[in-house]
Amino acid sequence: MKSFLTIFCLLAALFAGAESCSASTDSVGIIKTVSGEVFLVSTQKSLSAAPNMKINRGDTIKTGATGSVGLIFDDDTVVSLGPNSEIAVESFMFNPVDQELSFVSRLIKGTFCFVTGQIAKLAPKKVKFETPEATLGVRGTKFLVEID
Amino acid sequence: MSSLYLKPWFACLLLLLLYGCTQKTTVVLLSEPDGHVGNLTVGNIGGEVEMSRPAEATVISGRESSPSKPEILSEQQINAQFSVVLATLPIQPEHFLLYFEKGSTILTAESEAMLPMILQSITDRNSENISVIGHSDTAGNRDYNLRLSKERALAVSQVLIEKGTPRTHITSTSHGEENLLIKTEDNVQEEKNRRVEVVVK
Repeated sequence: MKSFLTIFCLLAALFAGAESCSASTDSVGIIKTVSGEVFLVSTQKSLSAAPNMKINRGDTIKTGATGSVGLIFDDDTVVSLGPNSEIAVESFMFNPVDQELSFVSRLIKGTFCFVTGQIAKLAPKKVKFETPEATLGVRGTKFLVEID
Repeated sequence: MSSLYLKPWFACLLLLLLYGCTQKTTVVLLSEPDGHVGNLTVGNIGGEVEMSRPAEATVISGRESSPSKPEILSEQQINAQFSVVLATLPIQPEHFLLYFEKGSTILTAESEAMLPMILQSITDRNSENISVIGHSDTAGNRDYNLRLSKERALAVSQVLIEKGTPRTHITSTSHGEENLLIKTEDNVQEEKNRRVEVVVK
């Protein structure tokens, strides 16, 4: 039993290590502005968000009852979240030279404003915003969403 | 069994369940900062609507019910519902391309004249996140060009620092001849490739 636990711990440590290594190259954007309670949640941890923190693929950004946050993605997409809002970055690839382009995010609750960036111009079909009741597709645009 | 339906607690529970399940999503199309209006589709199992006029909005009240026919909202309606996110939205990043005299870290006169615009962009965005990315053309060997593009990026960074931008706000990288703006053969002088891109976030 003890040896089993040791192996398990070693494996867990290995995986955790591998994940934190890849996380550094998975940066997809930054937190630009923060007001009130805002959290940046990754698979490993939940942090109080602060300006200029890096957002990684797979992260979730959440705001509290008085929180709001502004985000800038690497393809120039800008996003804002109002109070009690939550968004998850499911996939983000921005490599125009190799035609690797995609941006899928899940809007879980709250209010949002978006201005889409270069991925939506270069490959509009690869951009999706999933809400609980519908999926949004865009061609270079600014829009608002409220999930009530 | 039928008496169950009459029990007030059951009716309450049912209402609560129904209320809890019924989410409502509103989607509003706006014109972009440059006045351009894009195109937005909203779809689910129930159907799909397309919007292309500014302030057009649709409401979705369930995964299986089609999004409502788009209607134009007034500015007051939009502000009442979305004032916080509209005020919080960051300004989009701005990109600048600066060009150099051949084989040097000296900016062309036109590019030199763009420096005040870059500084203004940094001020407008309150930016602490400025990328300076150096490139070269393919004249000369790879190592030479990597070094030259690095020196160009550093020269531009240095100017920004001298004009008051904190060093820690600037990230400088260099690509040598690996990332050409204009595709050329090796050993070709191309002024559009002798460049530094500055991105202000």
